[in-house]
Amino acid sequence: MISYIGKRMVAVIPIVLFATLVTFALIHISPVDPAEAYLTAAHIYPTPEILEQKRHEFGLDQPLLTQYIQTLQRISRLDFGISYLTNKPVWDEVKVRLPATVELALSSMLLSIVVSIPLGVLAAIRKNGWIDMLSRGLSYFGASIPQFWLGYLLIFFFSVKLDWLPVEGRGTWQHLVLPTLTLSLVLIALYTRLLRSSVLEQLQETYVQYARTRGIRERVIMLKHVLKIAIAPLITGMGMNLGKLLTGTIIVEQVFSWPGFGRYFVEAIFNRDIPVIQCYVFLAACLFIVCNLLVDLVHLYMDPRISSKGRTEQ
Amino acid sequence: MSVRHRKTATLTLVAILLLSVILGCAKQDNTPASSSTDGAANEKTITLSWPRDIGTMNPHVYNPSQLFAQSMIYEPLVSYKQGGKLEPALAESWTISKDGKTYTFKLRKGVKFSDGTPFNAAIVKKNFDAVMKNEKTHSWLGVVGVLDKTEAVDDSTFRMTLKEPYYPVLQDLSVVRPFRFLGEAGFPDDGDTSKGIKKPVGTGPWMLDEYKQDEYATFKRNPNYWGTAPKIDKIIVKTIPDGETRVMAFEKGDLDLIYGEGVISLDAFKQLRDTNNYVTKLSEPVGTRSLLLNSSNPKLADLRVRLALQHGFNKQAMVEGVTSGLEEKADTVLSKNYPYTNVDLQPVDYDVEKSKALLDEAGWKLPAGGTVREKDGQQLDFELIFDKTDPIQKAMAETIQAEWGELGVKVNLTGLELTVQIKRLRSNQFDLYFWYNYGAPYDPHSFINVIAKKSFGISEVLSALPMKKDLDQQVHEALSSTDETKRQELYASILKTLQEQSAIVPISYIKKTAVYQKKITNFVFPANRDENPFEGIEIGK
Repeated sequence: MISYIGKRMVAVIPIVLFATLVTFALIHISPVDPAEAYLTAAHIYPTPEILEQKRHEFGLDQPLLTQYIQTLQRISRLDFGISYLTNKPVWDEVKVRLPATVELALSSMLLSIVVSIPLGVLAAIRKNGWIDMLSRGLSYFGASIPQFWLGYLLIFFFSVKLDWLPVEGRGTWQHLVLPTLTLSLVLIALYTRLLRSSVLEQLQETYVQYARTRGIRERVIMLKHVLKIAIAPLITGMGMNLGKLLTGTIIVEQVFSWPGFGRYFVEAIFNRDIPVIQCYVFLAACLFIVCNLLVDLVHLYMDPRISSKGRTEQ
Repeated sequence: MSVRHRKTATLTLVAILLLSVILGCAKQDNTPASSSTDGAANEKTITLSWPRDIGTMNPHVYNPSQLFAQSMIYEPLVSYKQGGKLEPALAESWTISKDGKTYTFKLRKGVKFSDGTPFNAAIVKKNFDAVMKNEKTHSWLGVVGVLDKTEAVDDSTFRMTLKEPYYPVLQDLSVVRPFRFLGEAGFPDDGDTSKGIKKPVGTGPWMLDEYKQDEYATFKRNPNYWGTAPKIDKIIVKTIPDGETRVMAFEKGDLDLIYGEGVISLDAFKQLRDTNNYVTKLSEPVGTRSLLLNSSNPKLADLRVRLALQHGFNKQAMVEGVTSGLEEKADTVLSKNYPYTNVDLQPVDYDVEKSKALLDEAGWKLPAGGTVREKDGQQLDFELIFDKTDPIQKAMAETIQAEWGELGVKVNLTGLELTVQIKRLRSNQFDLYFWYNYGAPYDPHSFINVIAKKSFGISEVLSALPMKKDLDQQVHEALSSTDETKRQELYASILKTLQEQSAIVPISYIKKTAVYQKKITNFVFPANRDENPFEGIEIGK
């Protein structure tokens, strides 16, 4: 098991390198010249001389390979350069905003787990019953409604009409309710249906029939046997749906004026603040890699039969 | 219903009720200390939102600081008022030498910064030095290019000497940045404000009180303010990037005022106006949306073609349709609320027949069975580039494409990233382009400056005009003239030429919007496009 974990850790390195390469390539395939983007953001008229000077300052006149190696060295020190807009180190700006985004993402994750596990299990046990119907309706709704629109709807009902919760901002737990609901609904929709079909599949297995004939109570069968196995696809789903969570935070932070990294990224796009965009892309890629690794390790923990080849031994 | 079902249903109901009670009773702590929470029940507060964080409040740099907020804290020597009238601000008077090269300002006495330190010629000079240390950054502003030296003659006299006469010095000094004044306590140790300031200390009516990046900023009255004290005690600016959220916060009553350009969608503005629950206002024109017809393109070098194109689309219908009447059809490149622009000019009206006749006359004929006009084997087609993120530009581009298509003119639309679009303007690689002038207090002098000065892209658009050389000469004379009457004549002549040559086609006048709760009174749009609108604002009883 230890060697498997070690191998997986080593395998992460080329993927991270590839992520840095993509991040680096972004600059060179984009039609926007970074030097020009900087000058535009700083409100300086881009005369050829100033452009030349800035290009030299950013090292853009160096050979591509040299530039890439320098980029790698900088990233390894968590140095993502200086924001074109604020003239402050990007990492310092990101550090300030990350907690808000993490708070939002975690609360949404938590809510989606708390809601979707009982809902998914109940929908499977009471197949075609009212809970199943409800969960199906909720899933269709959650999966198909655009997040920004859901955000507006929630603000309209709970803030403007009922005056229960604040429209926007951060500070109290009330501020967290609507953004969390908006972000978690799509996840609830996915996880509930995933768990439902997974539980239904397990209920057909012979070990369940055998346990029933042994007279073991239904609740014990469900919690001790079925759920333990049925939860595996849900964990995979969580890793796979991280993208939804990331893009979700961008939209939700914008709609609810949540002062996080996602909103900062949107502003960076509007202002062509390339170092910030690069930093976001790189961190997002790393997050995906780390999450995939974690999902695999959790599977390994849950199913020790997984060999170093990464598949179940027959 | 079984016992277990009943249990579940009861539990669910209790949970829902409990949640409702908790949410309903929860005291909503809306982060900035508002009048209702800080104990001063009679404190007059106005809350508005802004799409972006107010920024570092450094008076000498640009992004990310927001102009309206900078103008609350920092003041100019000279103020720009309605119709382009210049009024004393931190300078109570000024004299201009006969040759137009020396400006001597008598500073207002008794002015203090918000921290109580005196405002005098020495601090004016220190601010000018800090700005001029980064001359390149500010080269877009005419006065920066002609400023030779500055002196603090005595405690209340400040003198500027120019390399050559340049009449819009006072207008340039009235803009929100960079020539406004930071107090001594705000300067970094090395005096270079371009790297940052210690704290925002100004002479303006407001001072920054509380600030939470990306969330809110609160401003309170400056107790040392020399002028008429504001009638409001506190201004809260919430950072709300999303337009729809802003509208809902306003409808809920969290905001008292929505103000700015493009801060809410045209639909939202109309919807709020139609409820009759609020006051909605449109400002005077603050800028013109124009279409550049690049005369460097041989097809557009022909005046008849340019005129035909302007005659060939229904501006009124387009502006009404696309902007829901929130912009105003423009007949002249500059609206008449700037200095020197109240000139009698002949509008180029919508006239399809005239347009077709002009194209025929210019030799562009429709081939039998064809839809695009041709001449010498060439088709009459153009590329119109626009900002793909701007819904108004996109809709207008599509309208123009359809209308000119009817005339036999083919228009290919290309949506571009803004930076790329600007690059193409400056390198003269386009046929048709949406362009905006700068507005008050930058115009009309900045406008005529780019007509003559190369590399902004506008001078090149006019390159095929037969009188281009004369036009450049007139611009140069107007900018350096010290004779008011002569300057007015030159402006009239320049504007008349542009109107007749139809290379810069005016489409509509852009306006600022304001929506506010009925308790607000005395709201007036600032004459200076970038200033804040809080002068005189009041909350009714």
